[in-house]
Amino acid sequence: MFQNKSEYDRSVNSFSPEGRLFQVEYAIEAIKLGSTALAIQVAEGVLLAVEKRITSTLLEPASIDKIMQIDTHIGAAMSGLSADGRSLVETARVETTNHRFNYGEAMTVETCTQAICNVCLKFGDSKSKMSRPYGVALLVAGVDEEGPALFHTDPSGAYVRVQVKAVGAASDGAQTALNEEYNKSMRRGEVEDLAAKTLKAVMEDAVTPTNIEFAWVDAGTRVFHAYTPAEVEVILARLAAQPAAE
Amino acid sequence: MTSVAHGPYEINVGEGVAPIQMLHGTTTLGFVFQHGIIIAVDSRSTMGPFIASQTVQKVLEVSPYIIATMAGGAADCAYWHRVLQSEVRLYELRNKSHMSVAGASQIFANIMYQYKGRDLSVGTMIAGCDRGVPSLYYCDSDGQRTKGSVFSVGSGSTHAYGVLDSGYRPDLTVEEAIALGRRAIFHATHRDSYSGGIINVYHVHKDGWTKYPPIDCLEFFNFEKNPPLPISKDSLADLAKGPIVPAGTPIPSPAPSAPAPKAEPAPATTTSVSVTGSS
Repeated sequence: MFQNKSEYDRSVNSFSPEGRLFQVEYAIEAIKLGSTALAIQVAEGVLLAVEKRITSTLLEPASIDKIMQIDTHIGAAMSGLSADGRSLVETARVETTNHRFNYGEAMTVETCTQAICNVCLKFGDSKSKMSRPYGVALLVAGVDEEGPALFHTDPSGAYVRVQVKAVGAASDGAQTALNEEYNKSMRRGEVEDLAAKTLKAVMEDAVTPTNIEFAWVDAGTRVFHAYTPAEVEVILARLAAQPAAE
Repeated sequence: MTSVAHGPYEINVGEGVAPIQMLHGTTTLGFVFQHGIIIAVDSRSTMGPFIASQTVQKVLEVSPYIIATMAGGAADCAYWHRVLQSEVRLYELRNKSHMSVAGASQIFANIMYQYKGRDLSVGTMIAGCDRGVPSLYYCDSDGQRTKGSVFSVGSGSTHAYGVLDSGYRPDLTVEEAIALGRRAIFHATHRDSYSGGIINVYHVHKDGWTKYPPIDCLEFFNFEKNPPLPISKDSLADLAKGPIVPAGTPIPSPAPSAPAPKAEPAPATTTSVSVTGSS
Protein backbone atom coordinates (compact mmCIF):
# COMPACT_ATOMS: atom_id res chain seq x y z
CA MET A 1 0.00 0.00 0.00
CA PHE A 2 2.52 2.57 1.07
CA GLN A 3 5.74 2.95 -0.89
CA ASN A 4 7.82 3.47 2.16
CA LYS A 5 7.64 1.23 5.20
CA SER A 6 7.92 4.15 7.58
CA GLU A 7 4.62 5.50 6.33
CA TYR A 8 2.73 2.73 8.12
CA ASP A 9 3.31 4.40 11.44
CA ARG A 10 1.05 7.33 10.55
CA SER A 11 -2.18 5.41 10.74
CA VAL A 12 -3.71 4.01 13.91
CA ASN A 13 -5.76 1.43 12.07
CA SER A 14 -3.44 -0.13 9.49
CA PHE A 15 -1.19 -3.07 10.09
CA SER A 16 2.29 -2.87 8.64
CA PRO A 17 3.30 -5.74 6.30
CA GLU A 18 5.07 -7.30 9.28
CA GLY A 19 1.80 -7.30 11.21
CA ARG A 20 2.52 -4.45 13.54
CA LEU A 21 0.42 -1.54 14.67
CA PHE A 22 3.04 1.12 15.10
CA GLN A 23 0.87 3.66 16.88
CA VAL A 24 -0.02 1.13 19.56
CA GLU A 25 3.63 0.25 19.96
CA TYR A 26 4.53 3.92 20.24
CA ALA A 27 1.82 4.31 22.88
CA ILE A 28 3.48 1.57 24.85
CA GLU A 29 6.71 3.55 24.54
CA ALA A 30 4.92 6.56 26.03
CA ILE A 31 4.50 4.62 29.25
CA LYS A 32 8.25 4.38 29.63
CA LEU A 33 8.40 8.16 29.79
CA GLY A 34 6.08 8.21 32.79
CA SER A 35 7.16 8.12 36.41
CA THR A 36 7.61 4.71 37.97
CA ALA A 37 4.61 2.89 39.42
CA LEU A 38 4.67 -0.49 41.07
CA ALA A 39 2.28 -2.94 42.63
CA ILE A 40 2.79 -5.92 44.91
CA GLN A 41 0.18 -8.54 45.69
CA VAL A 42 0.43 -10.75 48.76
CA ALA A 43 -2.06 -12.81 50.76
CA GLU A 44 -2.86 -9.89 53.07
CA GLY A 45 -3.72 -7.51 50.24
CA VAL A 46 -2.31 -5.47 47.40
CA LEU A 47 -0.01 -2.46 47.61
CA LEU A 48 0.27 0.27 45.00
CA ALA A 49 3.21 2.66 45.09
CA VAL A 50 4.15 5.43 42.67
CA GLU A 51 6.72 8.11 42.16
CA LYS A 52 5.39 11.62 41.67
CA ARG A 53 7.58 13.98 39.71
CA ILE A 54 7.44 17.32 41.44
CA THR A 55 8.81 19.48 38.64
CA SER A 56 8.60 22.73 40.53
CA THR A 57 8.57 23.83 44.14
CA LEU A 58 5.52 25.88 43.23
CA LEU A 59 3.64 22.75 42.26
CA GLU A 60 1.08 21.42 44.71
CA PRO A 61 2.03 17.74 45.13
CA ALA A 62 -1.43 16.72 46.33
CA SER A 63 -2.85 17.75 42.96
CA ILE A 64 -0.95 15.02 41.16
CA ASP A 65 -3.06 11.88 41.13
CA LYS A 66 -1.13 8.81 40.13
CA ILE A 67 -3.11 6.41 42.29
CA MET A 68 -6.86 6.64 42.02
CA GLN A 69 -9.68 4.82 43.74
CA ILE A 70 -12.11 3.07 41.38
CA ASP A 71 -14.54 1.51 43.85
CA THR A 72 -14.46 0.74 47.57
CA HIS A 73 -12.44 -2.39 46.85
CA ILE A 74 -10.45 -1.43 43.72
CA GLY A 75 -7.77 1.13 42.98
CA ALA A 76 -5.38 1.81 40.13
CA ALA A 77 -1.89 3.19 39.74
CA MET A 78 -0.88 4.67 36.42
CA SER A 79 2.17 5.48 34.40
CA GLY A 80 2.28 7.31 31.09
CA LEU A 81 -0.11 10.03 30.01
CA SER A 82 -1.96 10.68 33.23
CA ALA A 83 -4.78 12.47 31.43
CA ASP A 84 -5.52 9.23 29.59
CA GLY A 85 -5.29 7.35 32.86
CA ARG A 86 -7.73 9.69 34.53
CA SER A 87 -10.18 9.19 31.70
CA LEU A 88 -9.89 5.40 31.93
CA VAL A 89 -10.34 5.46 35.69
CA GLU A 90 -13.45 7.59 35.24
CA THR A 91 -14.98 4.95 32.95
CA ALA A 92 -14.00 2.26 35.43
CA ARG A 93 -15.72 4.18 38.23
CA VAL A 94 -18.91 4.46 36.23
CA GLU A 95 -18.72 0.77 35.30
CA THR A 96 -18.24 -0.41 38.88
CA THR A 97 -20.96 1.89 40.18
CA ASN A 98 -23.37 0.73 37.48
CA HIS A 99 -22.47 -2.84 38.30
CA ARG A 100 -23.49 -2.27 41.90
CA PHE A 101 -26.70 -0.63 40.71
CA ASN A 102 -27.59 -3.39 38.26
CA TYR A 103 -26.49 -6.46 40.16
CA GLY A 104 -26.46 -5.30 43.76
CA GLU A 105 -22.94 -6.56 44.27
CA ALA A 106 -19.38 -5.42 43.80
CA MET A 107 -17.61 -5.92 40.47
CA THR A 108 -14.71 -8.35 40.43
CA VAL A 109 -11.27 -6.94 39.79
CA GLU A 110 -10.94 -8.87 36.53
CA THR A 111 -14.28 -7.65 35.18
CA CYS A 112 -13.28 -4.12 36.05
CA THR A 113 -9.99 -4.59 34.21
CA GLN A 114 -11.86 -5.92 31.19
CA ALA A 115 -14.09 -2.86 31.23
CA ILE A 116 -11.00 -0.65 31.14
CA CYS A 117 -9.41 -2.67 28.32
CA ASN A 118 -12.59 -2.46 26.27
CA VAL A 119 -12.26 1.31 26.36
CA CYS A 120 -8.57 1.05 25.43
CA LEU A 121 -9.55 -0.59 22.16
CA LYS A 122 -12.05 2.07 21.18
CA PHE A 123 -9.89 4.37 19.12
CA GLY A 124 -9.32 5.19 15.51
CA ASP A 125 -12.71 5.02 13.87
CA SER A 126 -14.79 8.12 13.24
CA LYS A 127 -17.43 7.09 15.78
CA SER A 128 -15.15 6.88 18.76
CA LYS A 129 -14.16 9.84 20.89
CA MET A 130 -10.53 8.79 20.94
CA SER A 131 -8.47 9.24 17.78
CA ARG A 132 -5.36 7.53 19.11
CA PRO A 133 -4.48 4.74 21.54
CA TYR A 134 -4.48 5.54 25.26
CA GLY A 135 -0.85 6.15 26.21
CA VAL A 136 -1.06 4.79 29.71
CA ALA A 137 -0.49 1.58 31.64
CA LEU A 138 -2.67 0.85 34.64
CA LEU A 139 -1.97 -1.41 37.59
CA VAL A 140 -5.45 -2.40 38.73
CA ALA A 141 -5.39 -3.69 42.29
CA GLY A 142 -8.31 -4.93 44.31
CA VAL A 143 -9.85 -7.56 46.51
CA ASP A 144 -12.98 -9.48 45.56
CA GLU A 145 -14.60 -12.71 46.70
CA GLU A 146 -11.71 -14.63 45.14
CA GLY A 147 -9.21 -12.71 47.26
CA PRO A 148 -6.58 -10.14 46.30
CA ALA A 149 -5.96 -9.57 42.61
CA LEU A 150 -3.60 -7.46 40.56
CA PHE A 151 -3.82 -6.78 36.83
CA HIS A 152 -1.62 -4.90 34.42
CA THR A 153 -3.18 -3.26 31.37
CA ASP A 154 -1.42 -1.63 28.43
CA PRO A 155 -2.46 0.57 25.47
CA SER A 156 -3.13 -2.43 23.23
CA GLY A 157 -6.04 -3.38 25.49
CA ALA A 158 -4.24 -6.51 26.65
CA TYR A 159 -4.27 -7.33 30.33
CA VAL A 160 -2.37 -9.85 32.41
CA ARG A 161 -2.71 -10.96 35.99
CA VAL A 162 0.51 -10.51 37.92
CA GLN A 163 1.88 -10.83 41.43
CA VAL A 164 4.38 -8.04 41.15
CA LYS A 165 4.68 -5.41 38.45
CA ALA A 166 6.62 -2.24 37.86
CA VAL A 167 5.83 0.16 35.01
CA GLY A 168 7.22 3.50 33.91
CA ALA A 169 10.64 5.03 33.48
CA ALA A 170 12.56 2.81 35.87
CA SER A 171 10.37 -0.26 35.44
CA ASP A 172 13.23 -2.58 34.43
CA GLY A 173 15.35 -1.91 37.48
CA ALA A 174 12.37 -1.88 39.79
CA GLN A 175 10.97 -5.14 38.37
CA THR A 176 14.32 -6.89 38.86
CA ALA A 177 14.59 -5.65 42.42
CA LEU A 178 11.02 -6.70 43.20
CA ASN A 179 11.40 -10.14 41.62
CA GLU A 180 14.43 -10.81 43.79
CA GLU A 181 12.84 -9.97 47.09
CA TYR A 182 9.20 -10.81 46.53
CA ASN A 183 7.63 -13.57 48.52
CA LYS A 184 3.93 -14.47 48.52
CA SER A 185 3.74 -14.68 52.28
CA MET A 186 5.15 -11.23 52.99
CA ARG A 187 3.32 -9.17 55.60
CA ARG A 188 1.92 -5.73 54.89
CA GLY A 189 4.78 -3.96 56.64
CA GLU A 190 7.36 -5.90 54.67
CA VAL A 191 5.56 -5.10 51.42
CA GLU A 192 5.54 -1.41 52.30
CA ASP A 193 9.25 -1.55 53.07
CA LEU A 194 10.03 -3.35 49.82
CA ALA A 195 8.03 -0.83 47.78
CA ALA A 196 9.63 2.14 49.50
CA LYS A 197 13.09 0.64 49.17
CA THR A 198 12.57 -0.08 45.47
CA LEU A 199 11.26 3.39 44.73
CA LYS A 200 14.14 4.92 46.64
CA ALA A 201 16.61 2.91 44.60
CA VAL A 202 15.19 3.82 41.20
CA MET A 203 14.15 7.44 41.76
CA GLU A 204 16.43 10.27 40.74
CA ASP A 205 15.15 12.59 43.45
CA ALA A 206 15.37 11.74 47.15
CA VAL A 207 12.17 10.15 48.43
CA THR A 208 9.96 12.36 50.57
CA PRO A 209 6.45 11.81 51.92
CA THR A 210 5.14 14.10 49.20
CA ASN A 211 6.88 12.75 46.12
CA ILE A 212 5.77 9.16 46.52
CA GLU A 213 2.26 7.85 46.95
CA PHE A 214 1.03 4.58 48.47
CA ALA A 215 -2.28 2.77 48.57
CA TRP A 216 -3.34 -0.53 50.07
CA VAL A 217 -6.35 -2.73 49.38
CA ASP A 218 -6.79 -5.02 52.36
CA ALA A 219 -7.76 -8.65 51.81
CA GLY A 220 -9.67 -8.75 55.08
CA THR A 221 -11.72 -5.57 54.92
CA ARG A 222 -11.71 -5.32 51.10
CA VAL A 223 -11.26 -1.59 51.43
CA PHE A 224 -9.01 0.65 49.35
CA HIS A 225 -6.95 3.00 51.45
CA ALA A 226 -4.76 5.83 50.12
CA TYR A 227 -1.92 6.66 52.50
CA THR A 228 -1.68 10.16 53.89
CA PRO A 229 1.74 11.87 53.73
CA ALA A 230 2.01 11.20 57.47
CA GLU A 231 1.52 7.48 56.91
CA VAL A 232 4.12 7.50 54.13
CA GLU A 233 6.48 9.26 56.49
CA VAL A 234 6.20 6.38 58.94
CA ILE A 235 7.29 3.96 56.21
CA LEU A 236 10.18 6.19 55.17
CA ALA A 237 11.31 6.54 58.77
CA ARG A 238 11.32 2.76 59.07
CA LEU A 239 13.32 2.55 55.85
CA ALA A 240 15.86 5.09 57.12
CA ALA A 241 16.28 3.15 60.35
CA GLN A 242 16.78 -0.20 58.62
CA PRO A 243 20.40 -0.06 57.42
CA ALA A 244 21.44 0.94 60.91
CA ALA A 245 19.68 -2.07 62.37
CA GLU A 246 21.17 -4.54 59.97
CA MET B 1 -47.42 18.98 51.78
CA THR B 2 -47.65 15.24 51.76
CA SER B 3 -49.58 13.76 48.94
CA VAL B 4 -50.19 10.45 50.55
CA ALA B 5 -53.55 9.60 49.13
CA HIS B 6 -54.17 6.30 50.76
CA GLY B 7 -57.41 4.48 50.48
CA PRO B 8 -58.51 0.95 50.28
CA TYR B 9 -59.84 1.00 46.75
CA GLU B 10 -57.63 3.02 44.50
CA ILE B 11 -57.98 0.44 41.81
CA ASN B 12 -59.93 2.55 39.36
CA VAL B 13 -57.23 3.22 36.82
CA GLY B 14 -59.78 4.14 34.20
CA GLU B 15 -60.73 7.22 36.17
CA GLY B 16 -57.13 8.29 36.23
CA VAL B 17 -56.56 7.19 39.78
CA ALA B 18 -53.23 5.57 40.50
CA PRO B 19 -53.41 1.84 41.08
CA ILE B 20 -52.77 0.43 44.51
CA GLN B 21 -49.22 0.84 45.57
CA MET B 22 -47.42 -0.64 48.45
CA LEU B 23 -46.51 1.62 51.32
CA HIS B 24 -49.10 4.25 50.61
CA GLY B 25 -49.84 4.44 54.27
CA THR B 26 -46.82 5.31 56.35
CA THR B 27 -45.55 7.48 59.13
CA THR B 28 -42.05 8.89 58.91
CA LEU B 29 -40.55 11.87 60.66
CA GLY B 30 -37.36 13.78 60.97
CA PHE B 31 -36.24 16.78 62.96
CA VAL B 32 -33.09 18.80 63.49
CA PHE B 33 -31.88 19.45 67.02
CA GLN B 34 -28.68 20.53 68.70
CA HIS B 35 -26.94 17.17 68.35
CA GLY B 36 -27.93 16.45 64.75
CA ILE B 37 -31.07 14.96 63.27
CA ILE B 38 -33.46 12.29 64.48
CA ILE B 39 -35.18 10.14 61.89
CA ALA B 40 -37.96 7.83 63.07
CA VAL B 41 -40.19 5.63 60.94
CA ASP B 42 -42.79 2.90 61.26
CA SER B 43 -42.49 -0.36 59.33
CA ARG B 44 -45.94 -1.20 58.00
CA SER B 45 -46.62 -1.73 54.32
CA THR B 46 -50.21 -1.75 53.13
CA MET B 47 -52.05 -2.45 49.91
CA GLY B 48 -55.43 -0.96 50.49
CA PRO B 49 -56.88 -2.55 53.62
CA PHE B 50 -54.36 -5.37 53.50
CA ILE B 51 -51.25 -5.24 55.65
CA ALA B 52 -48.59 -6.55 53.30
CA SER B 53 -45.71 -6.37 55.73
CA GLN B 54 -44.90 -5.25 59.25
CA THR B 55 -41.14 -5.35 58.83
CA VAL B 56 -40.30 -2.85 56.11
CA GLN B 57 -37.06 -0.96 56.42
CA LYS B 58 -38.22 2.55 55.56
CA VAL B 59 -34.90 4.24 56.19
CA LEU B 60 -32.68 3.97 53.15
CA GLU B 61 -28.96 4.29 53.63
CA VAL B 62 -27.85 6.49 50.74
CA SER B 63 -24.25 6.65 51.93
CA PRO B 64 -22.38 6.25 55.21
CA TYR B 65 -23.35 9.83 56.07
CA ILE B 66 -26.69 10.42 54.33
CA ILE B 67 -29.95 8.59 54.98
CA ALA B 68 -33.38 8.97 53.46
CA THR B 69 -36.86 7.92 54.50
CA MET B 70 -39.44 6.38 52.25
CA ALA B 71 -43.15 7.08 51.98
CA GLY B 72 -45.39 6.52 49.00
CA GLY B 73 -44.61 3.78 46.54
CA ALA B 74 -42.03 1.42 47.98
CA ALA B 75 -40.57 0.54 44.61
CA ASP B 76 -40.43 4.16 43.45
CA CYS B 77 -38.64 5.19 46.62
CA ALA B 78 -36.26 2.27 46.72
CA TYR B 79 -35.36 2.48 43.03
CA TRP B 80 -34.74 6.21 42.83
CA HIS B 81 -32.78 6.16 46.04
CA ARG B 82 -30.55 3.51 44.51
CA VAL B 83 -30.02 5.85 41.60
CA LEU B 84 -29.17 8.58 44.11
CA GLN B 85 -26.82 6.19 45.88
CA SER B 86 -24.85 5.70 42.64
CA GLU B 87 -24.69 9.43 42.00
CA VAL B 88 -23.44 10.16 45.50
CA ARG B 89 -20.85 7.40 45.21
CA LEU B 90 -19.49 8.69 41.91
CA TYR B 91 -19.43 12.26 43.20
CA GLU B 92 -17.35 11.12 46.15
CA LEU B 93 -14.81 9.38 43.91
CA ARG B 94 -14.60 12.25 41.44
CA ASN B 95 -14.34 15.07 43.96
CA LYS B 96 -12.61 13.35 46.88
CA SER B 97 -15.21 14.81 49.22
CA HIS B 98 -18.66 13.90 50.42
CA MET B 99 -21.63 15.24 48.55
CA SER B 100 -23.63 17.74 50.57
CA VAL B 101 -27.17 16.87 51.59
CA ALA B 102 -28.28 19.92 49.65
CA GLY B 103 -26.63 18.46 46.56
CA ALA B 104 -28.01 14.97 47.03
CA SER B 105 -31.53 16.22 47.63
CA GLN B 106 -31.29 18.47 44.59
CA ILE B 107 -30.31 15.55 42.38
CA PHE B 108 -33.25 13.63 43.76
CA ALA B 109 -35.66 16.54 43.27
CA ASN B 110 -34.43 17.03 39.70
CA ILE B 111 -35.16 13.40 38.92
CA MET B 112 -38.59 13.70 40.52
CA TYR B 113 -39.35 16.80 38.48
CA GLN B 114 -38.27 15.11 35.25
CA TYR B 115 -40.77 12.36 35.94
CA LYS B 116 -43.50 14.71 37.14
CA GLY B 117 -46.94 13.60 36.03
CA ARG B 118 -45.73 10.08 35.32
CA ASP B 119 -47.40 8.58 38.40
CA LEU B 120 -44.40 8.31 40.65
CA SER B 121 -45.35 8.33 44.31
CA VAL B 122 -42.52 9.39 46.55
CA GLY B 123 -42.32 11.41 49.75
CA THR B 124 -38.89 11.40 51.28
CA MET B 125 -36.73 13.15 53.80
CA ILE B 126 -33.02 13.27 53.12
CA ALA B 127 -30.83 13.83 56.15
CA GLY B 128 -27.13 14.25 56.80
CA CYS B 129 -24.51 16.70 57.91
CA ASP B 130 -22.81 19.24 55.67
CA ARG B 131 -19.44 20.12 57.20
CA GLY B 132 -20.77 19.16 60.61
CA VAL B 133 -23.99 21.15 60.27
CA PRO B 134 -27.12 19.00 60.25
CA SER B 135 -29.22 19.38 57.14
CA LEU B 136 -32.70 18.00 56.50
CA TYR B 137 -34.61 18.16 53.22
CA TYR B 138 -38.06 17.06 52.16
CA CYS B 139 -38.54 15.96 48.54
CA ASP B 140 -41.54 14.47 46.80
CA SER B 141 -42.73 13.20 43.47
CA ASP B 142 -44.30 16.57 42.65
CA GLY B 143 -40.75 17.86 42.40
CA GLN B 144 -40.98 19.84 45.59
CA ARG B 145 -37.82 20.25 47.67
CA THR B 146 -37.79 22.06 51.00
CA LYS B 147 -35.18 22.51 53.67
CA GLY B 148 -36.55 22.50 57.16
CA SER B 149 -36.12 21.50 60.76
CA VAL B 150 -39.25 19.42 61.41
CA PHE B 151 -40.92 17.16 58.88
CA SER B 152 -43.30 14.28 58.94
CA VAL B 153 -44.43 12.41 55.85
CA GLY B 154 -47.09 9.81 55.29
CA SER B 155 -50.69 9.07 56.15
CA GLY B 156 -49.89 9.19 59.86
CA SER B 157 -47.93 12.43 59.58
CA THR B 158 -50.68 14.64 61.01
CA HIS B 159 -50.78 12.53 64.16
CA ALA B 160 -47.00 12.51 64.38
CA TYR B 161 -46.82 16.28 63.90
CA GLY B 162 -49.12 16.75 66.87
CA VAL B 163 -46.79 14.97 69.22
CA LEU B 164 -43.65 16.25 67.53
CA ASP B 165 -44.62 19.93 67.59
CA SER B 166 -45.66 19.81 71.21
CA GLY B 167 -42.48 18.13 72.37
CA TYR B 168 -39.96 19.64 69.97
CA ARG B 169 -37.19 21.93 71.14
CA PRO B 170 -33.87 22.45 69.36
CA ASP B 171 -32.01 21.87 72.62
CA LEU B 172 -33.24 18.35 73.32
CA THR B 173 -30.65 15.85 74.42
CA VAL B 174 -30.05 12.83 72.20
CA GLU B 175 -32.01 10.57 74.56
CA GLU B 176 -34.92 13.01 74.74
CA ALA B 177 -34.93 13.46 70.98
CA ILE B 178 -34.96 9.73 70.34
CA ALA B 179 -37.77 9.31 72.84
CA LEU B 180 -39.74 12.10 71.18
CA GLY B 181 -39.29 10.55 67.74
CA ARG B 182 -40.42 7.15 68.92
CA ARG B 183 -43.35 8.59 70.79
CA ALA B 184 -44.53 10.57 67.78
CA ILE B 185 -44.39 7.49 65.57
CA PHE B 186 -46.15 5.44 68.20
CA HIS B 187 -49.05 7.88 68.46
CA ALA B 188 -49.35 7.97 64.70
CA THR B 189 -49.44 4.19 64.48
CA HIS B 190 -52.05 4.21 67.21
CA ARG B 191 -54.48 6.38 65.25
CA ASP B 192 -53.51 5.61 61.67
CA SER B 193 -54.28 2.06 60.70
CA TYR B 194 -52.00 2.33 57.70
CA SER B 195 -49.03 2.72 60.01
CA GLY B 196 -47.66 0.25 62.49
CA GLY B 197 -45.20 -2.52 63.05
CA ILE B 198 -41.92 -1.55 64.61
CA ILE B 199 -40.29 1.84 65.11
CA ASN B 200 -36.85 2.38 63.67
CA VAL B 201 -34.81 5.33 64.87
CA TYR B 202 -31.65 6.82 63.41
CA HIS B 203 -29.54 9.60 64.84
CA VAL B 204 -27.69 11.53 62.14
CA HIS B 205 -24.61 13.32 63.43
CA LYS B 206 -21.40 14.83 62.10
CA ASP B 207 -19.64 11.46 61.93
CA GLY B 208 -22.38 9.76 59.95
CA TRP B 209 -25.38 8.08 61.45
CA THR B 210 -26.23 5.72 64.26
CA LYS B 211 -29.06 3.22 64.13
CA TYR B 212 -30.91 2.59 67.35
CA PRO B 213 -32.58 -0.69 68.24
CA PRO B 214 -36.04 -1.15 66.74
CA ILE B 215 -38.94 -1.17 69.15
CA ASP B 216 -42.32 -2.77 68.55
CA CYS B 217 -45.09 -0.15 68.51
CA LEU B 218 -47.08 -2.28 70.90
CA GLU B 219 -44.34 -1.93 73.47
CA PHE B 220 -45.58 1.55 74.09
CA PHE B 221 -48.77 0.15 75.52
CA ASN B 222 -46.69 -1.25 78.30
CA PHE B 223 -46.75 1.80 80.49
CA GLU B 224 -44.81 0.22 83.29
CA LYS B 225 -41.92 -0.24 80.95
CA ASN B 226 -42.53 3.00 79.09
CA PRO B 227 -43.98 5.56 81.47
CA PRO B 228 -46.21 7.71 79.31
CA LEU B 229 -44.33 10.84 80.10
CA PRO B 230 -42.32 13.35 80.16
CA ILE B 231 -40.19 13.27 77.14
CA SER B 232 -37.98 15.91 78.69
CA LYS B 233 -37.88 17.14 82.22
CA ASP B 234 -38.64 20.79 81.73
CA SER B 235 -40.76 21.63 78.76
CA LEU B 236 -42.78 18.51 78.88
CA ALA B 237 -43.97 18.88 82.41
CA ASP B 238 -46.90 20.84 81.12
CA LEU B 239 -47.52 18.28 78.46
CA ALA B 240 -48.08 15.79 81.20
CA LYS B 241 -51.27 17.63 81.95
CA GLY B 242 -52.43 17.31 78.37
CA PRO B 243 -53.55 14.18 76.62
CA ILE B 244 -50.28 13.09 75.16
CA VAL B 245 -51.32 9.49 75.61
CA PRO B 246 -54.46 8.18 73.94
CA ALA B 247 -57.54 9.44 75.67
CA GLY B 248 -58.94 7.03 78.20
CA THR B 249 -55.66 5.34 78.92
CA PRO B 250 -55.15 5.00 82.66
CA ILE B 251 -52.17 7.11 83.51
CA PRO B 252 -50.43 5.92 86.62
CA SER B 253 -49.72 9.13 88.53
CA PRO B 254 -48.60 11.46 85.73
CA ALA B 255 -45.97 12.80 88.02
CA PRO B 256 -43.68 15.28 86.35
CA SER B 257 -41.48 14.57 89.32
CA ALA B 258 -40.68 11.18 87.92
CA PRO B 259 -39.42 11.85 84.44
CA ALA B 260 -37.87 8.41 84.49
CA PRO B 261 -35.59 8.07 81.52
CA LYS B 262 -37.43 5.62 79.39
CA ALA B 263 -36.46 2.03 79.82
CA GLU B 264 -35.09 1.68 76.36
CA PRO B 265 -32.42 -0.71 75.31
CA ALA B 266 -29.12 0.79 76.17
CA PRO B 267 -27.53 2.87 73.42
CA ALA B 268 -24.47 0.70 73.96
CA THR B 269 -26.04 -1.85 71.65
CA THR B 270 -26.30 0.59 68.81
CA THR B 271 -24.84 0.00 65.44
CA SER B 272 -22.54 2.82 64.66
CA VAL B 273 -21.44 3.53 61.16
CA SER B 274 -18.71 5.99 60.61
CA VAL B 275 -17.84 7.90 57.52
CA THR B 276 -15.48 6.15 55.23
CA GLY B 277 -12.16 7.83 54.90
CA SER B 278 -11.34 10.15 52.08
CA SER B 279 -8.23 12.13 51.82
